[in-house]
Amino acid sequence: MTSGLYDRLTPVFRDVLDIDDLVLTPELSARDVAEWDSLSHIRLVVAVEQELGIRFIAGDIDSLENVGEFVELAASKL
Amino acid sequence: MSLATAKSLNIADLHEGAAASDDFVISNDDMEKFAALSGDLNRLHTDEDFARARGFEGRVVYGGLVVAQLSRLIGMDLPGKNAIWNGLDLQFRSPLYVGQQANAELTVTHLSEATRSIELKIRVQTGDRLIASGTASVSIANAS
Repeated sequence: MTSGLYDRLTPVFRDVLDIDDLVLTPELSARDVAEWDSLSHIRLVVAVEQELGIRFIAGDIDSLENVGEFVELAASKL
Repeated sequence: MSLATAKSLNIADLHEGAAASDDFVISNDDMEKFAALSGDLNRLHTDEDFARARGFEGRVVYGGLVVAQLSRLIGMDLPGKNAIWNGLDLQFRSPLYVGQQANAELTVTHLSEATRSIELKIRVQTGDRLIASGTASVSIANAS
């Protein structure tokens, strides 16, 4: 269910983080991407909400460890 | 105007479609102060004859002064004193002239409870003519 989401969210992550060749993998995390700071994280969450037409709630995003968990969470909202 | 007049809207107070707007006029004094502040002495903004020779109706208001009106609306009204302005994407559509009345309007288009942030649609108009349009991203800090 999540495989198509990686294709759909790759341009979102590339736009927000301003990295044209970013490859979205489940293991990728903020620790791997210098541009992925707290402000970028807010922009990512909002951009994903808008792209997928979903809403995260407070607490949803606090414990996310990597892109894989982020995408799984997003998929659960669809 | 003082901080006491600023609104203090929290994320729970807002909804998509919530809006704030205000009329404004940029004066000669505003233009001179911005020229001194920014160091931008481009004749489009400072020389009436030059601006007319370029096909404009008069001196064109600095885009920075239009942005200043948006800053006031965000910082004082929507959401007010708890605002943390994160981003701006703005296109200037047509010139605003000194002394011309305009209206700036912000509308909440997306509300993210998880990040305590809002996306705002921006429209700046004079009469029916669009001056600038775009979006702004604003986080809302816990009320202090």
